[in-house]
Amino acid sequence: MKRVDLIVIGAGPSGLSAAIEAAKTGMSVLVFDENARPGGQLFKQIHKFFGSKEHKAKIRGFVIGQQLLKEAEDAGVQVSLESTVIGIYPEREVVVRKYVETPAADGTDPQEPSSRHEAVFHYKADAILVATGASENMVMFDGWTLPGVMGAGAAQTLMNLHGVRPGKRVLMLGSGNVGLVVSFQLLQAGCQVAALVDAAPKIGGYGVHAAKVARCGVPFYLSHTIKKVEGTNHVTGVTIAEVDSHFQFIPGTEKHFDVDTVCVAVGLSPMSQLLKMAGCEMDNSGKGGGQIPVVDAAGQTSVPGIFAAGDVAGIEEASSAMIEGRMAGIRIAEYLGYETKEAGEAEFSKEEASLEGLRQGMFAPQNRGMKIEKTEEGIPISTNLLKHGFVADDEIGRFPGVTHKAGIHPVMECTQNIPCNPCQDACAKHCIHIGLNITALPAVEEGSTCIGCGMCVASCSGQAIFLVNEHTKEGCAEVTLPYEFLPLPKAGDEGFGMSRSGKPVCRAKVVKVRTSKAFDHTALLTIEVPEDMAMKARFYRSRLECTGGDSVIAQSRIKGAEVSQNGATGDRPCESKAAAESEKREEGAAI
Amino acid sequence: MAGSDLRISEHPILGQTKEGREVTFTYDGRPLTGYEGEPIAAALRAAGVMVHRYTAKKHTPRGIFCAIGRCTDCVMIVDGEPNVRTCMTPLREGMKVQTQYGVSSRPEVTP
Amino acid sequence: MRTDRSKDLGPCLPMEGDDRIVCRCEEVTQGEIRQAVHDGMFTMTEIRRYLRCGMGLCQGQTCSRLVSGIVARELGIRPGELRPASSRAPMRPLEMSIWANECQAPDGAAETKKGGAGDEKC
Repeated sequence: MKRVDLIVIGAGPSGLSAAIEAAKTGMSVLVFDENARPGGQLFKQIHKFFGSKEHKAKIRGFVIGQQLLKEAEDAGVQVSLESTVIGIYPEREVVVRKYVETPAADGTDPQEPSSRHEAVFHYKADAILVATGASENMVMFDGWTLPGVMGAGAAQTLMNLHGVRPGKRVLMLGSGNVGLVVSFQLLQAGCQVAALVDAAPKIGGYGVHAAKVARCGVPFYLSHTIKKVEGTNHVTGVTIAEVDSHFQFIPGTEKHFDVDTVCVAVGLSPMSQLLKMAGCEMDNSGKGGGQIPVVDAAGQTSVPGIFAAGDVAGIEEASSAMIEGRMAGIRIAEYLGYETKEAGEAEFSKEEASLEGLRQGMFAPQNRGMKIEKTEEGIPISTNLLKHGFVADDEIGRFPGVTHKAGIHPVMECTQNIPCNPCQDACAKHCIHIGLNITALPAVEEGSTCIGCGMCVASCSGQAIFLVNEHTKEGCAEVTLPYEFLPLPKAGDEGFGMSRSGKPVCRAKVVKVRTSKAFDHTALLTIEVPEDMAMKARFYRSRLECTGGDSVIAQSRIKGAEVSQNGATGDRPCESKAAAESEKREEGAAI
Repeated sequence: MAGSDLRISEHPILGQTKEGREVTFTYDGRPLTGYEGEPIAAALRAAGVMVHRYTAKKHTPRGIFCAIGRCTDCVMIVDGEPNVRTCMTPLREGMKVQTQYGVSSRPEVTP
Repeated sequence: MRTDRSKDLGPCLPMEGDDRIVCRCEEVTQGEIRQAVHDGMFTMTEIRRYLRCGMGLCQGQTCSRLVSGIVARELGIRPGELRPASSRAPMRPLEMSIWANECQAPDGAAETKKGGAGDEKC
């Protein structure tokens, strides 16, 4: 039986982070992961992360994964892949299923230089860290076993890891951050998202994530859930219906969508079975998203030498999982005497403060299920954002990031207190102020001068910052917006300016397209729009996208045609007046 | 890959999707192509295959559900071996992939 | 967590969704689970042994939360009050031929990147 100092189960964000910290102190560390690649779910996260610099904010998840792997390699962490832990037995014995390579010399088939077969191995460690993460929750509805119904994570795996779209037209169930982020990623992969549905009366995830999906034209159906998925051999359609406050269907509210895929994003459950098998005391009260081990601040369970970190110890997200992993790694090194209490303490408290920084704001674990009606600044939350996914025109003006000014200036449509501040550091001219309180809403610094560099636009993980010049010439304004889709429009292209709700509101001409390494794949599109649309146009669609074709936005097809007929008869997009009228009608209808 | 409109050829964030060697495998005897090392399930999805198996009791179709090896809904018969998780098993040249009926490769054997 | 076995649950009346599959592996329906509770299966372990739900290939990865929700509702308690099923090896589907194939991992040998392509001998 092989012995090591520490066995880590799971090579995801928390497991790898713990392994790194432990290996740095000279411990022998062995990480098992059942997958063919390490990194857990980090490599499917292609959006920029939230947080502060120390949390690797504005870096995309998969890049953080690459950095973590490099760090693990440098620290000498050994990762054994395609190795499935099937049990933890007394005295910290770990049983692993893995492959054995048999060299050809053993008399096997000469055609095959070597053959692989699987066997069971026993390992022993002085400490074990269980970092097995979580699995997706499911809800039942008629047809939920049909091929084409899948977890949102499955869709993400297919498109972001394997380059295959899960389907052509998708309905998403669940408006938490997973549902919102995956919906946006489906659009980025070139799928249509027919609707985003949630039984809850309010959107569960970050408003900024919802807003970027809404402005692409995806309709939100809150207080709705799936009634039936249709199809014989695979999904061909889905019917949703409204539910009352007791989650019972309201007759006559059915809506049908032709889709080939239904994604379910209704939360995660800790995968804590190994800990239970090991005899750890478990908390079944439901906090932490399911059955979780009872752990102390260091992540140690009731069984000496067995630790837990990351989602398995309570559902949070990848950034906090990484910090929790580091904290557990430091404590394990102390526990086994590889690190002095003093040295460990200093590092531990640094990580603890960093974790504390992430667990703040409206979405902090302690605020789960609480009804929050005002921001920390005392501003009423946008109710339209929580119901429809976008801040209404008459609400947006009350937030401190949204101000009017002559010349180009940033407009920060960041309306909820979330722990995130890269925009503040991004501006070399100090136009954006958040302050020391990381959850404060960004405000425009008085007396500062924006030079229109666009760094703030690209740095905002929520894609909520726009550069606006409300008057460039007679009747014209310019809006610079983040754009992460293909094909990338070119300067001179003409199309439509889209409202926050994803409806075409005016004709728009692309005047500038900026890409840069510093923007990290977020292109900056500057569009020219009519002056009165400066605070309304927040997305751009080409004419082709609005009038048909197999592209992302069939939903807005009719509306787009309407605008191109009724409005915009002049040569210049900014001369459109009728379009504005049509927009007013539509906005009214949407709310 | 030719003929598949589900493959993402260029992604706004991930760029050109890097591809391995193109390999041929069979699905219920029909030759299909995919990329070496990608999960069998991904190659099948790209080829338009959605049904991986029919269940033993109620004979209902199943396909990709979790895509990370947890749910075991996507199991098929691979090179004669039943219950192979296609979302976890890398595709190799010449693989023989078959729809699983219960645990059999033949529908009529299903009890 | 004591299980109150004297509880009178009344008759098992049909409910919407009773024919819906809950355990995808073993194809157990909501109606079967509800009936099992009325038959006296009050804990997750009993339900699993009685119906085999959560005992299939995936070992309850997908359905255990759903099953405990249904059982708890039938018993009129919170899912957290329900005695959870025991956890035991193997945690993932494992062929008996592999489980029976016990190998020695050599002491101090370097693990290689791809699973087990190291110095392990069988």
